[in-house]
Amino acid sequence: MRINDLILGILMALLGAITVWASRDFPSLPRQDYGAGTFPTLIGTLLVVLGGVLSLRGWQARGAMFAWQGDVALKHAMICVLAVVGAVVGYVLLTPVLGFPIVSLVMLTVLIGWLTGGRWWLALTIALVATLLIWMTFAELLLVPLSLGILEEVIY
Amino acid sequence: MEVLQEALGLVLDWQVLAVILGASIFGLFIGAIPGLTATMATALLVPVTFFMDPLPAIGAIVSATAMAIVAGDIPGALLRIPGTPASAAYTDEAYLMGRQGRIGQALGVNLVCSVIGGVIGVAILAFFAPLVAEFAIQFTSDEYFWLALLGLSCAVLVSGSDPLKGAISMLLGLLISMVGMSSVSGQMRFIFGIPELLSGISILPVLIGLFAVAELLRRMPEIGRVSLPTPPSVKKTFEGVGGILWKYKGGMARSGMLGTLIGALPGAGADIASWISYALARKLSRTPEKFGTGHPEGLVSASSANNAALSGAYIPALVFGIPGDTITAIIIGVLMMKGVTPGPDVFTTDAALVNAIFIVFLLANLLLLPLGLVAVRGARHILSVPSGVLYPLILLFCIVGAYATNNSMLDIWLMLGLGLLAYVMAENDFPIGPMILAVILGPIVEGNFLRSMIKANGDLLMLFDRPIAATLGILALLVWVAIIVSTLWSVRHASRKATPTQSG
Repeated sequence: MRINDLILGILMALLGAITVWASRDFPSLPRQDYGAGTFPTLIGTLLVVLGGVLSLRGWQARGAMFAWQGDVALKHAMICVLAVVGAVVGYVLLTPVLGFPIVSLVMLTVLIGWLTGGRWWLALTIALVATLLIWMTFAELLLVPLSLGILEEVIY
Repeated sequence: MEVLQEALGLVLDWQVLAVILGASIFGLFIGAIPGLTATMATALLVPVTFFMDPLPAIGAIVSATAMAIVAGDIPGALLRIPGTPASAAYTDEAYLMGRQGRIGQALGVNLVCSVIGGVIGVAILAFFAPLVAEFAIQFTSDEYFWLALLGLSCAVLVSGSDPLKGAISMLLGLLISMVGMSSVSGQMRFIFGIPELLSGISILPVLIGLFAVAELLRRMPEIGRVSLPTPPSVKKTFEGVGGILWKYKGGMARSGMLGTLIGALPGAGADIASWISYALARKLSRTPEKFGTGHPEGLVSASSANNAALSGAYIPALVFGIPGDTITAIIIGVLMMKGVTPGPDVFTTDAALVNAIFIVFLLANLLLLPLGLVAVRGARHILSVPSGVLYPLILLFCIVGAYATNNSMLDIWLMLGLGLLAYVMAENDFPIGPMILAVILGPIVEGNFLRSMIKANGDLLMLFDRPIAATLGILALLVWVAIIVSTLWSVRHASRKATPTQSG
């Protein structure tokens, strides 16, 4: 999705201004003009300036504020973005409760099934194998504490 | 000699060798699939390398990227779709050779030239890096400040057609690097009351977000729209390759050296090296009119150059600790996580490790030949893996990978947020390269600046007091002048372009 440089520039300038404001209280080094606030202030100021130039340029070019280009429908692209966000958010929220194996299995099955246009058996098989492999690699071999969730009670 | 023996001993460990082989196969797979880049291969590998010793970790990244760049040539020649951006310069040429029934020859040339280019790059790296390191040992914080700033500036300048957007992308990266406790003063900055942010935003979720999640978001909507045609089968892979190579040996040597040099420059990497070598080969050729019709000369040059550039990028990375491209930025991040700070000291304190790294490079490049051959033969199967299956697997791998280093859910949130940010940025032509370089270089620029200021009692002009520092400083300032001039030009250009539409 193309957003007009005018809007992007204003956003960047705003971020820069907030940065400058947030770094106003950082103390400088003893007997020095410079310190922890120097770089954040400089970066913030530059963001304000460059964001300003960007929005000025966007204003001069007079394009549409929002435009969608490319041969994929906007709706489809947004659904894909939402699917990824949903999967990640779902993982973060559900893994501590349900455990990695269940979340991974469901997530992979649903996503693969959806993206391959309904080949659910394929999706389920791949999800099973992949979950097992990732569990073996990360939890068993590399000792990453992937959560078992409710499975803990089932196994132990 | 003793050092070399020790280095060989380090490399010839079955674990290291197994890691190199495994990573090569992984890189081969990622590189051969259009849309998945060498940088993405690296970003996905890093969570696993986090659990390894420094040498196998570097070995894994080096072999995966080298293999990914070579494998990227395969879909280019077979389907006219470059597997990685580094192959884009000569995709048409290789494809047209294939149309003339010389597909095996085209891929054979790609493969052999990549190996030779890679070996030239390694040789230059192994020869020059210690020399430069000896020179760099006298550098103080002044020189490092300018060097890091120069790296950042060049990254912005070469990042794309629009340096203004490159500069904003760099500033965002610098902002990310400011989060956490300041290394010089110990001041907490921008931690929003989250204790996990005290040590800063860790590099891994940033990498995975910027290079894997953002790519997934961009590619996913395309699933099912373009079905890849079945690639033709490849026969007689090495027929006539020897003759072609002998004929263009000069071009090959030139591109190998040029590629290494371009790779060593800050900001420019394998893709730029292959474009420039291709253009130069055309310019110097006796038959420039044959370029673009399935003529192997440009292919020879460009495919040697892109693999040479990979090695070249390690010269500034290993010697100064200043990354020249995204992949070496990742390597430096990995080394710092392991407690090894790259710099000239490493060459004296850890000479065996440095030499072992060179040997790993050589090994990885030599491995390209047999594995590349397997990849060419197996291309049909690799290309037939549906993206609909692959992308969800990559997504899960991203999540687990981001979580794995700190065992923290915060890192997964950061990965998602930065992935979305990079997606929006890339859709609006903001280059991502300057951002990741800034994340790595930010603390280096700031730390060395503050150290210099403490030494100089706050006198800014002291930054120019030493001759090398002054030279580097003037170079960095010149690059910024170039950036500013081209930005101002683009503003004027935009207003001029807008005027006719207004009146008409």
